[in-house]
Amino acid sequence: MTMLIDNPIFDKFMVEYAPNELIFCEFEPGNEFYIIQTGRVKIVKIVNNNEKTLDVLKAGDIFGEMAILEEQPRSASAIAMEQCKILKFHRDNFDALIQGNPQMAYKLLVIFSKRIYDAKRRLMILLLEEPQLKVMDVLIMLAESDPHIDMQGPITLRCNIQEVANWAGMQISDVQKILTHFNSTGKIELFNDRIHVKNIRDFQRIVNSRRKSA
Amino acid sequence: MAITTRSYKSGSIVYMEGDKSETIYILKSGRVVLTTKKVEDKTWVEEKVHVKPGEFFGVKSALGRYPRDETAQTLGDTTVLVLSLADFEKMILQNINVVKKMLRVFSNQLRRIGKTVREVLGEGDTINPEVELFKLGEYYFKMERAQQAMYAYKKYLDYYPDSKYASMAKERLQKIKSGDFGSGGTVPDFSQPAAPPPGVSDEDMTDFSIEEESAPAPQPEAGGARSPLAGEMDDFLSENKSGDMLDDFTFDEPGASQADNVSQDINEIFYEGMRLFAAGQYEEAVELYNRIINSKSLQGESEKKTFEKAHFELGRCQYKLGKFNEALGTLSGLIKKFPNSMMVKSALLYIGMIFEDLKNFDKAVTYYSKVMSMEPKDQTNKDAQNRLMKIQNSQGRR
Repeated sequence: MTMLIDNPIFDKFMVEYAPNELIFCEFEPGNEFYIIQTGRVKIVKIVNNNEKTLDVLKAGDIFGEMAILEEQPRSASAIAMEQCKILKFHRDNFDALIQGNPQMAYKLLVIFSKRIYDAKRRLMILLLEEPQLKVMDVLIMLAESDPHIDMQGPITLRCNIQEVANWAGMQISDVQKILTHFNSTGKIELFNDRIHVKNIRDFQRIVNSRRKSA
Repeated sequence: MAITTRSYKSGSIVYMEGDKSETIYILKSGRVVLTTKKVEDKTWVEEKVHVKPGEFFGVKSALGRYPRDETAQTLGDTTVLVLSLADFEKMILQNINVVKKMLRVFSNQLRRIGKTVREVLGEGDTINPEVELFKLGEYYFKMERAQQAMYAYKKYLDYYPDSKYASMAKERLQKIKSGDFGSGGTVPDFSQPAAPPPGVSDEDMTDFSIEEESAPAPQPEAGGARSPLAGEMDDFLSENKSGDMLDDFTFDEPGASQADNVSQDINEIFYEGMRLFAAGQYEEAVELYNRIINSKSLQGESEKKTFEKAHFELGRCQYKLGKFNEALGTLSGLIKKFPNSMMVKSALLYIGMIFEDLKNFDKAVTYYSKVMSMEPKDQTNKDAQNRLMKIQNSQGRR
């Protein structure tokens, strides 16, 4: 499903961005949403004084869609990675836009569905009381979100400690301590870009039992 | 299209929370109740939602390809339409008003959940976008990324022209610009834009940072190709801060340009060390941890933590290698240097283990007891307790 809108009506919404140009930045009030026509855009956030790439988007992708709802500070920055052509729409034009592009509306439904689930899932992690359980639950969540993972056996999760800490809403140092402990007790094996989990079902059992009693 | 109809008796489960499925339903007749959980006062409470005839259910989990996050059960005899994702797409694309309505419902849900997440994280009102926007500019300024810094400062001035940092933002912009127009012809002609003379002041060091980025050098941030200026900065630092570096770090120094690279390196070295440790390659891990500990250019909170932890990991490797004296030295050094570190408790546990291995059970017991008394009570406390009990049991038997 592509979102390349080949219609001269939209030409006036087309904006070109140079490589490295900021399209919008974190904390800036947001009133527009964007659809990439050509080029790639990276979504970044400053976390603990490091710029962290959350996502790389390509032609057909939509971003800044939270601005469709209401004016809110942007939660991340968008930077053009190369020369980009991007459609930029103000919230006020949204109804008119989807009227002629039901495909886009459908795509937005999918995006919102995912966001809602992610946010709910994150709440489940955040509302666990013990830090160890939060870390376990982040690993479970990462496993769940990868459709290729078979939870029955040992699994490999593409993530680093920073990401786990973000999801868990914890300090990196605390997460590191817990993961180091899991590592030393043989529950996981820690690499700089991935984590092997020996038995994720064990983690699930532990977390689920605690969640119910809470 | 192969939309099918399915009938259920009262009390039947259409789907369960946790099921994975890409099926979407429309309630044709009867009643369906969705049981889900929502957050109230930071705890999960059950919520029941009744589906009305003609309404969709199971949409979000099917579209998002996630497990069902609610259970759908019938009340009374019920008939539903069963749609595949493709059926659903075709159907709603012909009825844009349905999509609009759904988008509205979804976006409201998203907003509500987002609000709850921020509350749980304690970010409710504490984050001030005005200040944060300025700080973002400062980050990019520090990182010598002129373009991004300019953008953030300009937006800051657009939205908050009379605010606290407005004059500072203007100053910064001026600095960035003067870097840009350095070769524009209106400035006095110094002909050679060579490195500054030796003995430049501290202030000069921080200010030229932007120039480096705006120069047409293709890859200013590439680790290998550092400019001569950056090389000088290293010298400058080492000249003025020789000797007792280890005890005298200042973190987050403004103007230090290579924070990003170094930080990544140190963290990467650290993880590689942990990997080696996990693989039993203790000698190799020791080498890496020593590299971190001897590193002289730490930046930022995360590196400080890594630096602390490298001490602990080094001690642990030395312990595994049977080098008890070295391990004791490293671990007690950690406790002295970083008395407030998260790692102190673990270090004490390992010291206890060293004494236990050396058959000095009294001392081992002292250390284990100390660990057990420390907050927060976690696995380390339990480990200490288990070890202590083992010692006491074996001594009791003698």
